[in-house]
Amino acid sequence: MKRKKLKESGVSYAKWGYIFILPFFIAYTLFTLIPQLMTLYNSFFENYRDGLMQIGPNFVGLKNFVTLFSPDNTGSIGMLKYMGNTIILWVLGAVPQVLVALLLAVLFTSYRLRLKAQPFFKTVIYMPNLIMASAFSMLFFTLFSPVGPVNQVLVSSGIAEKTIDFLSIKVSVRALIALMNFLMWFGNTTILLMAGIQGIDQCLFEAAEIDGANSLQVFFRVTLPLLAPILVYTVITAMIGGLQMFDVPQVLTNAKGTPDRTSMTMVMYLNNYLQTSKNYGMAGAVSVVLFIVSAGLSLFVYNTLSKPYKEETKKRNRI
Amino acid sequence: MKKIIALVLALVMVFALCACGGSSAKSGKVLNIYAWNEEFKGFFEKYYKVPDGVTVNWVITPSDNGAYQQKLDEALMNQSKAKADEKVDMFLAEADYILKYVNSDATQDITKIGVTDFSNTYAYTVQAASDPNGVVKGVSFQCCPSALIYRRSIAQDVLGVSEPDEVQAKLDSWDKFEAVAADAKAKGYYMTASFAETFRVFSNNCSSPWVDSGNNLQFDPQINAWIEQTDKFISNGYTLTAGIWDQEKNDQMFKSGKTMCFFGPAWYFNFCMGNAQDPDNGCSGDWAICEGPAAHFWGGTWLLAPTGTDNAELVADIMNTFINNEEVCTALVANEAQFSNNQAVNAKFASDPNYGSAFLGGQNDVAVFSEMTDNIVWKNHTIYDQLLNEGLQNALQDYFKGNVDKEKALQNFYNYVNETYPTIVIP
Repeated sequence: MKRKKLKESGVSYAKWGYIFILPFFIAYTLFTLIPQLMTLYNSFFENYRDGLMQIGPNFVGLKNFVTLFSPDNTGSIGMLKYMGNTIILWVLGAVPQVLVALLLAVLFTSYRLRLKAQPFFKTVIYMPNLIMASAFSMLFFTLFSPVGPVNQVLVSSGIAEKTIDFLSIKVSVRALIALMNFLMWFGNTTILLMAGIQGIDQCLFEAAEIDGANSLQVFFRVTLPLLAPILVYTVITAMIGGLQMFDVPQVLTNAKGTPDRTSMTMVMYLNNYLQTSKNYGMAGAVSVVLFIVSAGLSLFVYNTLSKPYKEETKKRNRI
Repeated sequence: MKKIIALVLALVMVFALCACGGSSAKSGKVLNIYAWNEEFKGFFEKYYKVPDGVTVNWVITPSDNGAYQQKLDEALMNQSKAKADEKVDMFLAEADYILKYVNSDATQDITKIGVTDFSNTYAYTVQAASDPNGVVKGVSFQCCPSALIYRRSIAQDVLGVSEPDEVQAKLDSWDKFEAVAADAKAKGYYMTASFAETFRVFSNNCSSPWVDSGNNLQFDPQINAWIEQTDKFISNGYTLTAGIWDQEKNDQMFKSGKTMCFFGPAWYFNFCMGNAQDPDNGCSGDWAICEGPAAHFWGGTWLLAPTGTDNAELVADIMNTFINNEEVCTALVANEAQFSNNQAVNAKFASDPNYGSAFLGGQNDVAVFSEMTDNIVWKNHTIYDQLLNEGLQNALQDYFKGNVDKEKALQNFYNYVNETYPTIVIP
C-alpha cells in the first residue's frame, strides 16, 4: 500500500535520466541513423554525373545491387573480390595484433614481473596510433619504393640482386598493409586489454597460484575467460574498423589497389564510385552490402567468442 | 597556473576577433583562380601586376585521379549561388579535359569580355578552347609541341652522332626507333625510362576519339600500337617499367642515368627535368631535342573564363597579357624556357643566331618547336581523355610488370571506366 502511494505522489527521477541520454540519441539520429537510411534510399536510384551533367535520380529498384554482383567478362565479381581482399587484409593485421596485445597486456599487468618504466613503454607502443594513417602510409610508400632506402640497403648489402618492386607484388603489398595496421593498432588494443585484466580481481590470480597453477594455466583458466567480454568487444570493434579499411591501402597504392586490384578494399571500391562520377546509387549499394556484411560478421564473432563466457555466467547463476 | 592559462586563452580569443575584424574591414575584390599546380602561379606572380585592392586567391588541387576536375566541378556547379568574392573568376584546364568545360555553359565567350586578338596565337590553341559553334572560351599561355629530348653523350655512343639533325634522321620512324633501342640495349642503355614514355606520341595521332557517337569505348589502332610496342620494349629490356611521373624515371635524368630518350614539350625542361639541371649530379648541356618518330603535343595550360565571374575585365586583361603582351611573352621564353603562344615573339627567338638554350647545349629550341607547330592537329578529343589515358596506363602497368595477363589488365581498365564514367559503354 505504502509503496503504491509513494509512486502516485512521489517524485520520479527517471526523466532526468532520459534527459541526460537525450543528446546522444539526437546526435545518433542526426548523424548516423538518418544518413544510414538515406544511403539505403539512395541505393535504389540511378544518380550520377557525366561531365558537368547530372543524371537522375531515377528509381531503378534493385538494379544497382544486380550490377554489383554481376560477373565481368573474365567471370570475376568485383564486389566479392574486394570483400575477400578486405577480409584477408584485416585478418593478416588483426590476428597478430590481438595476440601481441594480449601478451603485452599480460606482461604489463603481471604483479610478479613488476616491469619498470611502464608509462614509457605504454607511450611508445601507443605512438604509431597518433600518426595520421595517410602520413604513415606515405612513409611506407617512400621507404619501399623502387628507389627507396629499403631497396638501397638490400641491393648494396647484396641481399637482393636488383631492386625489388615491393609495391607491385601481391604478397608484399598485402604484408605491408597488414604490418601498418598492426603497428598502428596494437598499442590501442594493449591498453584496452590491460584495462580488462586490471578489472579482474587480483585474489583470483593469487588463489590460482596457491592452488599450484603455473603461469600458462593462470592465463588460460583465469585471465582469458574473465577477459572474454573485453576481448569480444576488442575483436568486434577491430573487425568493423577492418572492414572499413581505407586510408592505408588507398595512400600506399595511390587509390589503385595494385597489383591487379588485389589490395583494393570495399571502401576503396565505394570511393571509386564517389570520385569522378559521384555515383551515389552504386556507392549506396556498396555501403548497404558493407553494412550487412559487418552486421553479420559482428553477430557471428559475438556469438562464438562470448559463448563460453555466457555459459559460465549461466552456470554461476544456477549455483 | 590556471589564471595564466585563462589569461592566455582570453588573449587568443581577443586576437582572433581582431583578426576577423581586420580582414572583413578590407573590402577589396577577390580574384579566385583554380589550378592544378603552381606552374602558372609562378609566372603570374612574376609577370602580371595585379591592380591595387585586388587579392588573388589561388585554389590549387593536384590533378591526380581527377581530383582537380572534381574540385572545379563542385565550384562551377555552385557558381550561381556563390557570393561575389567566392565565385571562380578564372580557371586553368589541360588539353585532356578542356572540352568538358568549353562545351558547357560554365564558361563564357571571351570575345565578349575583351579578348579578341588571336592573330599571334597558334591555331590549335584557339581551336581547343572553342565550342562546336566556334565560340572561343579561353586562351593558352603556352604552345606545347612535344619533342624527343635525348642525351647527346648517349646518342654519340649508340648512334655515333649527337647533333639534332643527324639524330632525327636516325629516329624519324617507329621502325628506326625500335632498331636503335636494340642498339642502345646492346651498349647497356635504356631507350626510355618509363613504360608510358611514348604514350603521347601514339595517342596524339589517333584517328578516332576514345568514345564513338554511341558512347562506346573504342581502342584506336595507335593505342594498340603503343601497347604492342611497350610490350616489346619491356620484354626486351629496352625500357624501365616505372610510371611516367615516378621518381625511378626521374632519377634516370641524372648524369649517372642510362636512358637516352625522353619526350616532352618546352614546359618539361623546368617542370620535370630538375634532376638533369642539378648542379652537382645533373648533366645540363648534355641534352638536345628533335621531332622524333611522330609529331605530337603534350598538355598545355588554358586559361578559361567561367560564366558569372565578377572580375571579367581583369580576367580578360590577364588573358591578353599572356598571349599578346610582347614583353611578357618574351620573358616567358627567355627566362622560363617556355614556348610562348605568341608566334611573333617565338619567331624573333627562332631567327636570333645568338639565342640558344644552355641546357640543350646551345641548341635553339624555339626554332625546333616553331617548325613542329605546323604538324599539331587538334582532333579526336573527348571530355573523358584525362582519366581514360591515366586509367589505361595504370591498368596496363600491371600487365607490363608481369602481374596479370593482358585480358585481365584490360578488364581492370573496363571496370575502372565503369566506376568513373557510368555512361561509357564498355566492350
